[in-house]
Amino acid sequence: MMLVSTLKRCFVRAFLAGLSFFLLLCVSGCSFKTKQSSLDPKGPIALAQYDLFMVTVWVTLFIFVTVGGALLWVVWRFRQRPDDDDDHMPNQSHGNPLVEVGLIVASILLLVIIAVPTLRVLVYTFELPEDEGSKLGQWYQGPLTEEDAETILTVNVMGYQWWWAFEYPQLGITTANELVIPEGKVVKLNLRSADVIHSFWLPKIAGKVDLIPGRANWMWIKADEPGHYYGQCAEFCGSAHAYMLFRSDVLSHRDFEAWVEYQKKDAPEALEVSVAAGERLFAEKTCIQCHTIRGNQYAMGIKGPDLTHVASRKSLAAGIMDNRGVDGRIDRLKQRENLFEWIKNSQHIKPGNLMYHDDAGLKTVPLSDDDVHKIVAYLQTLN
Amino acid sequence: MAVSTHAPVADKRLLPPSKSLIGLIRPDTSTGLVDWLTTVDHKKIGIMYGGFALFFFLLGGIEALLIRLQLMYPGGTVVSAQTYNQLFTMHGTTMVFLAVMPLNAAFFNFVMPLQIGARDVAFPRLNALGLWAFVAGALILNLSWLFQWAQVFGWFTPVSGQMDIVPAIGWFGYAPITGKNYSGIGTDFWIFGLQVLGVASLVGSFNFITTIINMRAPGMTMMRLPLFTWMTLITSFLIIFAFPAITIALVELMFDRFFGTNFYHVEMGGQPILWQHLFWIFGHPEVYILILPTMGIVSEILPTFARKPLFGYPMVVFSGAVIGFLGFAVWSHHMFTTGLGVVATAAFSLLTMAIAVPTGVKILNWIGTLWGGHIRFSVPMVFALGFIWMFMMGGFSGIMHSAAPADAQQQDSYFVVAHFHYVLIGGALLAILGGLYFWVPKIFGRMMSEKVGYIAASAIIIGFNVAFFPMHYLGLTGMPRRTHTYLAGFGWETWNFVATIGAFVLGIGVLMVIIDLIRTVASGKPCGSDPWDARTLEWSLPSPVPAYNFAHNPVIPGRDAWWLHKYGKKPEQEIEYEKTGPEGIHMPSQSWWPLVSSVGLLVVGVAMALHSAGVPYCGYVAIGGLGLSVVSFFLWALEGPGGYHLTPPDDGDEPQKVLASYTPEPSQKLELTH
Repeated sequence: MMLVSTLKRCFVRAFLAGLSFFLLLCVSGCSFKTKQSSLDPKGPIALAQYDLFMVTVWVTLFIFVTVGGALLWVVWRFRQRPDDDDDHMPNQSHGNPLVEVGLIVASILLLVIIAVPTLRVLVYTFELPEDEGSKLGQWYQGPLTEEDAETILTVNVMGYQWWWAFEYPQLGITTANELVIPEGKVVKLNLRSADVIHSFWLPKIAGKVDLIPGRANWMWIKADEPGHYYGQCAEFCGSAHAYMLFRSDVLSHRDFEAWVEYQKKDAPEALEVSVAAGERLFAEKTCIQCHTIRGNQYAMGIKGPDLTHVASRKSLAAGIMDNRGVDGRIDRLKQRENLFEWIKNSQHIKPGNLMYHDDAGLKTVPLSDDDVHKIVAYLQTLN
Repeated sequence: MAVSTHAPVADKRLLPPSKSLIGLIRPDTSTGLVDWLTTVDHKKIGIMYGGFALFFFLLGGIEALLIRLQLMYPGGTVVSAQTYNQLFTMHGTTMVFLAVMPLNAAFFNFVMPLQIGARDVAFPRLNALGLWAFVAGALILNLSWLFQWAQVFGWFTPVSGQMDIVPAIGWFGYAPITGKNYSGIGTDFWIFGLQVLGVASLVGSFNFITTIINMRAPGMTMMRLPLFTWMTLITSFLIIFAFPAITIALVELMFDRFFGTNFYHVEMGGQPILWQHLFWIFGHPEVYILILPTMGIVSEILPTFARKPLFGYPMVVFSGAVIGFLGFAVWSHHMFTTGLGVVATAAFSLLTMAIAVPTGVKILNWIGTLWGGHIRFSVPMVFALGFIWMFMMGGFSGIMHSAAPADAQQQDSYFVVAHFHYVLIGGALLAILGGLYFWVPKIFGRMMSEKVGYIAASAIIIGFNVAFFPMHYLGLTGMPRRTHTYLAGFGWETWNFVATIGAFVLGIGVLMVIIDLIRTVASGKPCGSDPWDARTLEWSLPSPVPAYNFAHNPVIPGRDAWWLHKYGKKPEQEIEYEKTGPEGIHMPSQSWWPLVSSVGLLVVGVAMALHSAGVPYCGYVAIGGLGLSVVSFFLWALEGPGGYHLTPPDDGDEPQKVLASYTPEPSQKLELTH
């Protein structure tokens, strides 16, 4: 008996210790402002979705407290007590239509509280703000400025296994895995897939929309403040789905203009000897079959990412490898290491990707460390 | 009829061997393994359903724990990306089709005929086919692991470039990733496994519907059916309406992969989105196929331990039916991010909210049942109360998903993972374990350990919450699901670690239950026929239940018949019995053909997948397997109805009162003599 009570006490203590540790974790481990958090909206769409989510949270919290409280109270109040008669027969009531119908009506009313803002946000997020049909949406967030309504920047988002191409048809430039947009302007994204289904998810700016082969999906986004945002493919798309990340740079108007001008330029000619050697290897080792580098007349492949300004990107391999130093700017040394690692071991880093594989995905091209260094030197000039 | 009519015997082993119409001896007198393989007894079939389902449940659990180990730390290297994708595909498929559905089917089989006062299901051999086809489908799916290992050791190499021999496409198998360009023969194992499992579910459901409609004891009107039987009926209807959709989708996919059609090939004008519609018009009712039976279980446990009738019985039945209807009208809420447009999204959003109403009705009625009761705590009751609480929380996140724009942030994130595990572990699993503790005394006549039960229930409920509650946070802070790893620095490290710990606590709890179950079956403490002082007809029978269930047909006085019989104040509330005549109780004959035809289906599935891998002659083997199935179906039809008669024991150790004055109607006499 002694032992049992001691054990019981130990168990209760362990339980309380565990619980307090858990609560401590809840307080310390729960930041809502993490890199990819949907709870830290930085654009009107994410904000509208967040506000709607909070409506559902408050309504369900209310139901939780009342219904859960009722359940706890009932179980406590009507429990069999040790001195109760085992054969006690409670009142055999089997229902009360008034109570039942009343509760149904109450739950319908609670759902209406959610339904109304749902429809409002639905129209707002699904219709481009310039559309006639989205008057309701405009009323919700206020009308767009004239300038916005006239010139909507369009980006064609193309999903591949397992990377992203971002094409700016109005500007004639193409980048990969880094979506650069101006702050405070509506951007229309045309979402297309080259192979399987992907899903574009940039939590701080907008919830996801799928890229489905054979379907012309689109979405509009707007970012309120400049910054570096994190996104990810959200639909299972094959073995390296976890490595299909992307970044988004939101720039001020002036920076965006400068970026566009810069991206429009072709890649510089390879002047240095070592760089020229890299350029030659880039052609010899069949890299040109898949990659485009504007300014390099041989590199016109379209299967892989456009590398015209690859060295100006802050990440590598669809956002897995970060090229930035502690100050948030590109660290050339880190970039060189990343490029080397990626070209040398791309199958190890992202299993199943098509880098220097033939169509069947079987044959590889042999590359010595020296070759890789030369190619990296060439690629680093493409900034 | 050429079948000889036997004189009634007390034990089937005393029967003379009898030939069926095709000249084979029917295995009626068999014992041991052959008896189990050829049985048509719904109770034995139910026990085998449960046994196989628990085995696959453990397998799916091991897959889940490997998944959690891989995600314990960022950049985990426990398994490769491909293996991880195979694990989550097989975990989902296993838990839905090989664990929860057959566990529910185990209860349908064992409990439902007893609850309606029937001596077996309407089509006993079809019932056996349901079981063995389920085993065949489960084996097709899981044999892929063996071939994958063979490939690792270099004993087996598919000719196509794709090396995934275990399906790695997710349990939802979205086209075009299931196409030949993107996935290997694992997809073929998956297609044939699911098709065969569909056969199993369909024959089972037709059988249950026929049984409930036609074989109720006299006086057992529809509105006197126990809630669990009602939910069996509704679930069976859901299955027969939902499964054709996935059958068609899978046939189209099979044609795409084997015969070069283009249902889902975009480049040839196919539409991948078609798969999503077909899959979810099956897949959403499937969710209710998993959860409605468990609501039935809880609706049996709560009144028993509150010693009160179910509050608002007609409302609970009706809300179950409404859930069934609406379940077919909400499939596109799985597709809110596929660009359906404003109108469709709004419609499915509102319909999804509407389905919360009948679900809420059930929860409120369960609380109403407890209200004013005399609540006794027991292991089944702890599981049932845990069910209400956890299912309610899963329902809340469900309401959050129904708001389509908010769902755009939640879809395919860990928030959804948290949601459906609250519904399926916190809901379905807790209720199934409660049902296990509740009915094991009836099934085996032995009590499971209460102490182990309480400890296991605490471990399961605490472990489950520690594992899955943090996933709400992970999802909202941007962690997508079905990713084999994640980068450090996104704020997901702590809670993934915590979730893994919780998953192992949950696993230990489940393991305790299963070990205790095995111990109970082998050497548990024997118990009386009605240890819980329960309410429905199955508790009026001795434990374990004799082969013929009811020695004398009961006449049902009202809802909760056994409770009325025990505690009713009026004489007309007692159960009366129609005395069985000297001709004895008609019993169905056993048969080999359900098992043999299922072996044929197993051969078809495996051979087709291997054919796809380029193994020579497998096409012929598949045709042979199909031939075996077809031939055994013919022989099944030709072997004749068979049957024999048993005499119930004179005194009838059943706690029942036989009315001496009762004379059966002529039609019933006819039925008894077959």
